[in-house]
Amino acid sequence: MKGREILWKAAFAGTVVFVIAAALLPVFWMATTSVKPPGEYVSKEPTLVPRRVTFEHYANMWEHRFFRHLRNTATVAIGSTLLSLAAGFLAAYAVVRFRLPAKLDIVFMFWVLVVKMLPPVVIAIPLYKTLRVFGLLDSLAGLIIVYQVYTLPYCIWMLLGFVKEVPREFEEAASLDGASTWQMLRHVVLPLVGPGLVAAGIFSAIMAWNEFIYALLFVHFPSRLTLPIHIANYITEHETLWGELMAIGLSASLPVLLASAFVQRYLVRGFSMSLK
Amino acid sequence: MYAPGRHRLVWVLLLLPALLIVLGLTVYPLFQVGFLSLFRYDYTAGTKEFIGFFNYIEILKNRFFLTSIRNTVVFAITATAAEVIGGLLLALLFNRPFRGRRLILPFLILPMMLSTMVVSAIWRAWFHFDYGFLNTVLGSVGLGGVRWLFDPDLALFSIVLVDFWQWTPLAFLILLAGLQSIPNELPEAAKVDGASRWQLFQNVTLPLLRNPLLLAVLLRTVDSFKLFDKVYALTGGGPGLATETISMYVYREGFKFFNVGAASAGSIVMLSLSGVLAVVYAWKILKGQV
Repeated sequence: MKGREILWKAAFAGTVVFVIAAALLPVFWMATTSVKPPGEYVSKEPTLVPRRVTFEHYANMWEHRFFRHLRNTATVAIGSTLLSLAAGFLAAYAVVRFRLPAKLDIVFMFWVLVVKMLPPVVIAIPLYKTLRVFGLLDSLAGLIIVYQVYTLPYCIWMLLGFVKEVPREFEEAASLDGASTWQMLRHVVLPLVGPGLVAAGIFSAIMAWNEFIYALLFVHFPSRLTLPIHIANYITEHETLWGELMAIGLSASLPVLLASAFVQRYLVRGFSMSLK
Repeated sequence: MYAPGRHRLVWVLLLLPALLIVLGLTVYPLFQVGFLSLFRYDYTAGTKEFIGFFNYIEILKNRFFLTSIRNTVVFAITATAAEVIGGLLLALLFNRPFRGRRLILPFLILPMMLSTMVVSAIWRAWFHFDYGFLNTVLGSVGLGGVRWLFDPDLALFSIVLVDFWQWTPLAFLILLAGLQSIPNELPEAAKVDGASRWQLFQNVTLPLLRNPLLLAVLLRTVDSFKLFDKVYALTGGGPGLATETISMYVYREGFKFFNVGAASAGSIVMLSLSGVLAVVYAWKILKGQV
């Protein structure tokens, strides 16, 4: 019985190690390839751990205006998130605290969830036309606006849960003290949903940071491209310049990985939008 | 419910910004797509002509469009099945407590935190016929190289493999949360009654996982149905039409060939296919069932 138990434990440990390796190996490969000299990956016998470390790919990446793409991506991610948090916070509060006529709140929430699931490409043509009318094609401001399709429903839904958790007594007390709705929102509700705003904001920023299809369709000006488009262009234009590509990929991912460390405990809620 | 502030219509002002954005960026465009799908456009002459459902009849006879529907459905079903089953096995594996578990979990979900473009960049290199990691591994155990992205029978499933790597962690997270919400007494009671491991899983665990399973299946089906980024970066739709998807079709017709009528009709078809699932998802979530 004892031997069998040890065997069972070994099999279990082996499976766990295999699963972790499968999940991490591609990321590990990306990190090491970014510091390998080209001869080590374009070869019949590529290495997994570099024999010689070089930072030439990072230097090249910097020369190819990585920073500009990074700045564009950050501008769009932060801009669209701030807009969504502001509009989403007010909307979430209205839906939670007021009885809206004709079940407007239910209809609104239903639509918010449906939009979250819609394929973004189906409304690309009308959005293109709208952006053109307002002269917002090829601009980061235009991207910030169309990204509301993703980030706003997301923020409303996430904030809804957090606003619901605010005890109503606090607002009633403030209201009795003669606070206006605006003052109450600012000084009572906002601080209480602070952690919720941060969590929703991080998820929404990650979503905008990684977005591909609208960035591809609505911005073509080379100096205004975001990182996912920069990477896509690189993939399709260069067959095996993997060192620089992986340097770009890793650098583009680091901010997201760091940010995600702060939302570990909201992951299920954050990705599924479920209530539990 | 009470109404703070002096005006009963405060909620209108609070809701207004979000409502305007949602109406302007989703409701209006959807109506516009439906409208555009009923016309034929001639950009050189600058005219449009009402043709009713002719665009729909045209695309439903079009081999390119029909193939892209088939590929999208095959991809959505295969990827979802693989990810949910894989996620379930992982969740069962990681549900038992062992040393270092808390440390390991954040690394397991790393793939789904990466941008799809970064994921595609890594896998495109891994799929490379001469220098890719996968063929190197196959070669080192004496097997021949596989044409991962250039074999028409395989290319779509190579993309499934990438999606599997990226998104199994999501199914895993949802199902692990589901497993951990099962009270300990239930499996214990079943064991006392002499249930085998398999009976325990089949009759106790699985029924209790119904809602998390449904949530994972809905989320992954609807999301894999949108498939665009990976195809764009890995195969461009080829070889031949082997990896064309509905999203790719709409993109090409609308933004490469300026065939706005056909692209809009394709959008509406796509919308009706995935809209049903989106509505089921929204309904289940609103009722608090998943």
